[in-house]
Amino acid sequence: MLRLVHMENSGLVKMLLDDKFEDLGRMYNLFRRVPNGLSTIRDVMTSHIRDTGKQLVTDPEKSKNPVEFVESLLEKRDKYDKIISLAFSNDKTFQNALNSSFEYFINLNPRSPEYISLFVDDKLRKGLKGVKEEDIETILDKVMMLFRYLQEKDVFEKYYKQHLAKRLLSGKTVSDDAERSLIVKLKTECGYQFTSKLEGMFTDMKTSQDTMQGFYAAYGAELGNGRTLVVQVLTTGSWPTQSSITCNLPSEMSALCEKFRSYYLGTHTGRRLSWQTNMGTADLRATFGNGQKYELNVSTYQMCVLMLFNNADYLSYREIEQATEIPPSDLKRCLQSLACVKGKNVLRKEPMSKDIGEDDAFSVNDKFTSKLRKVKIGTVVAQKESEPEKQETRQRVEEDRKPQIEAAIVRIMKSRRVLDHNNIIAEVTKQLQSRFLANPGEIKKRIESLIERDFLERDNADRRLYRYLA
Amino acid sequence: MPRTSSRKGPTNSSASSNSSTVDLFRAASGRAASKELERIDQLFYSYSSDGSSMIDPEGIESLCSDLEVDHTDVRILMLAWKMQAEKQGYFTLDEWRRGLKALRADTILKLKKALVDLEKEVRRPSNFADFYAYAFRYCLTEEKQKSIDIESICLLLDLVLGSQFRAQVDALIQYLKIQSDYKVINMDQWMGFYRFCNEVKFPDLSNYDPDQAWTLILDNFVDWLKSKRG
Repeated sequence: MLRLVHMENSGLVKMLLDDKFEDLGRMYNLFRRVPNGLSTIRDVMTSHIRDTGKQLVTDPEKSKNPVEFVESLLEKRDKYDKIISLAFSNDKTFQNALNSSFEYFINLNPRSPEYISLFVDDKLRKGLKGVKEEDIETILDKVMMLFRYLQEKDVFEKYYKQHLAKRLLSGKTVSDDAERSLIVKLKTECGYQFTSKLEGMFTDMKTSQDTMQGFYAAYGAELGNGRTLVVQVLTTGSWPTQSSITCNLPSEMSALCEKFRSYYLGTHTGRRLSWQTNMGTADLRATFGNGQKYELNVSTYQMCVLMLFNNADYLSYREIEQATEIPPSDLKRCLQSLACVKGKNVLRKEPMSKDIGEDDAFSVNDKFTSKLRKVKIGTVVAQKESEPEKQETRQRVEEDRKPQIEAAIVRIMKSRRVLDHNNIIAEVTKQLQSRFLANPGEIKKRIESLIERDFLERDNADRRLYRYLA
Repeated sequence: MPRTSSRKGPTNSSASSNSSTVDLFRAASGRAASKELERIDQLFYSYSSDGSSMIDPEGIESLCSDLEVDHTDVRILMLAWKMQAEKQGYFTLDEWRRGLKALRADTILKLKKALVDLEKEVRRPSNFADFYAYAFRYCLTEEKQKSIDIESICLLLDLVLGSQFRAQVDALIQYLKIQSDYKVINMDQWMGFYRFCNEVKFPDLSNYDPDQAWTLILDNFVDWLKSKRG
């Protein structure tokens, strides 16, 4: 039997690879009549899927493009779904084997959560444009399926929040309904806690629209033509954490911003507002020396830099830094995006190098041309994180896990009063399973920390026991 | 003490017949006791600085030189334990009295001799755990402090366990200095070291059971030892 299964060119693996549904069906029907027949097929299939899956997720080429990465995962899933339904009569045990194999190899790549979120981001930003509603649902359900395999669901949540924030703030979502639908699916899967902050983000967007209406109703006449300022008020805590260093806004803007601030605080006492100048966008109407007119869509930082050139022809990096008070690393990236990118170089830099030096001189590129009237220079699109960013996110996730582990330990000990070491580890792991796989070493560390802070103590007689200290 | 009814001096007629001798004995021993106390106090004042009710580090140094014991010797720590001294480097009058009375030492000579017996007493298993825990607490200098830095812990380990568990202490000190997970050690971890030395076969570690809820630092120590062995 095994010989049949493992035959090099016509064995089970070949049949799986080539989608030989009929042959597979025959094999299934034959083998089910023999003891251990089906389990043999299942085991070979399982190890094949695990091996090929492992190859897929650890392949550096495939990992370069997150969207492609996820698409190949979905393809693989679809392939085996089809085989199981057409050839293996939808056998539940085969379904389970497929699921456990996927769970195994998806978690071999620590970037899977990030990539799945980026895949969703791509779909919700443009991929689902024009797609029928039912097809959208199908794709989202498939994404949910992959999500279920993730051991580190909290990592996914962190990235999802970041990407969602960018989508919402840049107004770049294809379908509001699709967004909501996915949130509902996540809520069904993981509970209210998982999605409450995400829902908070949507609420903030809606509330901000209402606030805007109120603002212009109150000041409309005074402000004259058109809405030049659109404000989104974000509740801290629902949105991904940001530093709140506010840069210097151009005078044309600051008066208007102040008006908004006093309007808002007038209707909402006891709140504090801080402008998140690293998250905004602006549309500028620019006339260049060559007579060309363009509408530039830029980030707030880029706007602050460009507006300086209304009053100066040449500015050094230092002068720009002083005037705008944009943090150096952000400012350098900002200037690079304005001066060093082909097709978007609205500024000229001397010297022409890519690196930004303290004494570099900037001026408007009067020779700037573009095929499009509206030129997009802002960089608010979600991207695969760079190595240092990834480390930072990973660190934040680890930090967030510590209090969750402690809370689980305290909950369990509070109800059990006395519990031995192995059981605590098992129960804590179980409680946290839906968010992440808790590391036994980390759990031990948290127990020791709780002992140090007199929440728990060791039993005097049996060292394996811990006691809850009321 | 045999009871007699012989009397000496005026007595209360309503008292029981043998009370007088007991009183006498009490009075006699009381006199002796108060003499001893006086000497203990005097000894204290000979080391305390003028005007303070404490023996300070300087005083302790001179005490040590009189005892012919180095001030870093473990026997001084044992003496502090006997006194239940609270603050490292200082002895109060009460602590001094407590310790020396228990040791029945009211002169330097007697104290010197008493240290020998004290060491035996402390090293008895029933006392040692208490002494070991005391050693840790004694090194906590700040009010809310709960941990001690690695370097001090290494010194303390050597002082307190070095003579008994040389191999384990050397290995542990080596590990503590190269690991970077922990910059300080708390009481729970400290007690764990003692249990480890007492219970785990060294150097084969054959009976080290990770399910026994050893502190993580000891798990890591054992992993390190095993990997060193290759």
